[in-house]
Amino acid sequence: IATLKEKLIVPVAEEEATVQNNKITVVSVGQVGMAYAISILGKSLTDEFAFVDVLEDKLKGEMMDPQHGSLFLQTLKIVADKDYSVTASYKIVVVTAGVLQQEGERRLNLLQKKWDILTYVTWKISGLLKHHVIGSGCNPDSARFHCLMAEKFGIHPSSCHGRILGEHSDSSVAVWIGMNVTGFSLQELNPEIGTDNDSENWKEVHKMVVESAYEVIKLNGYTHWVIGLSVAGLIESMLKNLSRIHLVSSMVKGMYGIENEVFLSLPYILNARGLTSVINQKLKDDEVAQFKKSTDTPWDIQKDLKDL
Amino acid sequence: MSWTVPVVWASQRVSSAGANFLCLGMALCPRQAACMPLMGTWLFTSVSKMATVKSELIECFTSEEPFHHRKVSIIGTGSVGMACAISILLKGLSDELAFVDLDEGKLKGETMDLQHGSPFMKMSNIVCSKDYLVKANPNLVIITAGARQEKGETRFNLVQQNVAIFKLMISSIVQHSPLCKLIIVSNPVDILTYVAWKLSAFPKNRVIGSGCNLDTVRFQFFTGQKLGIHSESCHGWVLGEHGDSSVPVWSGMNIAGVLLKDMNSDIGTDKDPEKWKNVHKEVIASAYEIIKMKNSTSWAIGLSGADLTESILKNLRRKHPVSTIIKGLYGINEEGFLSIPSLERRVLPTL
Repeated sequence: IATLKEKLIVPVAEEEATVQNNKITVVSVGQVGMAYAISILGKSLTDEFAFVDVLEDKLKGEMMDPQHGSLFLQTLKIVADKDYSVTASYKIVVVTAGVLQQEGERRLNLLQKKWDILTYVTWKISGLLKHHVIGSGCNPDSARFHCLMAEKFGIHPSSCHGRILGEHSDSSVAVWIGMNVTGFSLQELNPEIGTDNDSENWKEVHKMVVESAYEVIKLNGYTHWVIGLSVAGLIESMLKNLSRIHLVSSMVKGMYGIENEVFLSLPYILNARGLTSVINQKLKDDEVAQFKKSTDTPWDIQKDLKDL
Repeated sequence: MSWTVPVVWASQRVSSAGANFLCLGMALCPRQAACMPLMGTWLFTSVSKMATVKSELIECFTSEEPFHHRKVSIIGTGSVGMACAISILLKGLSDELAFVDLDEGKLKGETMDLQHGSPFMKMSNIVCSKDYLVKANPNLVIITAGARQEKGETRFNLVQQNVAIFKLMISSIVQHSPLCKLIIVSNPVDILTYVAWKLSAFPKNRVIGSGCNLDTVRFQFFTGQKLGIHSESCHGWVLGEHGDSSVPVWSGMNIAGVLLKDMNSDIGTDKDPEKWKNVHKEVIASAYEIIKMKNSTSWAIGLSGADLTESILKNLRRKHPVSTIIKGLYGINEEGFLSIPSLERRVLPTL
């Protein structure tokens, strides 16, 4: 007896073995993982989405909840499994598992949260090409900087441009020469910008970028929205082959005289081939020195890591 | 070479390569590295000795008083409130989002975190406050505050606790925002929508419970799963109580206008060999199941809240199965709130 489905739907094409896909996996269904997930799903970036985590109940619950909202989403298939085999042939895997930064803990104290080092570890263990392993790096720092600039000027953050480079940590480098609004350099208007002589104390704005994450953690226990939204933007550039520039973390050995295999943030171009090019920017001597210095701590930790 | 460098009103988003400066009668000049001294004539010169970068960069033609015309307030920054928030933000539905919660730390933390994400969103303003004055007169107030179901609890277990919370909340909302529309999400939603309507004394069209919007969406999802198609293409309504006694309208279920009951006359009954009745059972069980696994439901209800917000703010006149007063309908004489397909005018299906 024919089922209702068989009566209603008549196939007119043969089943194809493989179908072009843009599948994305998020590893971990904690607060950050779910922020990634809802940002990716909300922007309709993929046709199949998978969660992977070791906590089976939470995993299943966090899969079912957005599944039930699928009327409002354009992702037909949302799956989850403890086993990574569910992600076979997936285009992009977002890794976020690890221990949350606790209140008062500086990022350096917590290896598991040290994104640039973890990007290095992932690259080493996976054996993937270096331009297929991307750390979110200073992308959220730059976003925070744009917000603070925007607040100072009363305009939208997307009209403010500035680069925060180097290590995603307390020692990130603010490139004052490049800060601009619609192409007009702030340094032209205020040559002291970023220095101790600056009457407007823009250096404080960079400091606030670093401190604001700690403040959100103190208030809320964790940060998740800014990183979730920023990573969805990176994925959009790759899946839609946009060749947009993002401040993400990649291997910088050979750049600015750096000799070690360290992952730091620079302005990179992201498209369907992954991370393909870097923007050739001129840094001042003290900025280069600061950038090189920020390789010291990650390399000190990395060189002692075993079994990579 | 002497350059003329125009200053652009900062609210226009232009790239230095693509700006249209023809209205100013000046040619666009690409900017060189800042190590070269700038020559040429400025459009205006700041007269203040204590000129800031802002005052040198931007000349205002109008008042800087902010103006927002699609304001949404969300009461409660728990998992449901934040899920509503991120769904509204991702769809770019409002130009201002305000949060209210008693837990100041969580309130500020969540607000700051979202504010930092604003480069990736098209929203101009995200604010918060412990009191309802934060941004008076929003177009829409979404109430998610209240106790939530624990494992094994029904929605009715929450009544007394949440009615007490509503008594404090509604009077403050009405005082500061007498013209807003209310969307109630907290459970038990049908009872709390009635409570909000009574306490606010708003006309009935301005107090809406999210009701069976989510049940219907879940129903469409499970139907889509059974048939291998997207839930958007599955049409069916779940009406009545948002909970264990909701009513699936089998007679109206259709795919592309083809009524499923024409293909299976026993659909929804105990005689049905395909047991379509289980689809509705799954809808009822799903909230309890998710709560058992992850202690709360959030994403689907958040997306559903954004869906209702979109219809109201964009004046879409879409039909939604939301909780509204049903006295006088289907022979009901009590002042109850249940879900029926509603827009500005009620649509009464034949049951």
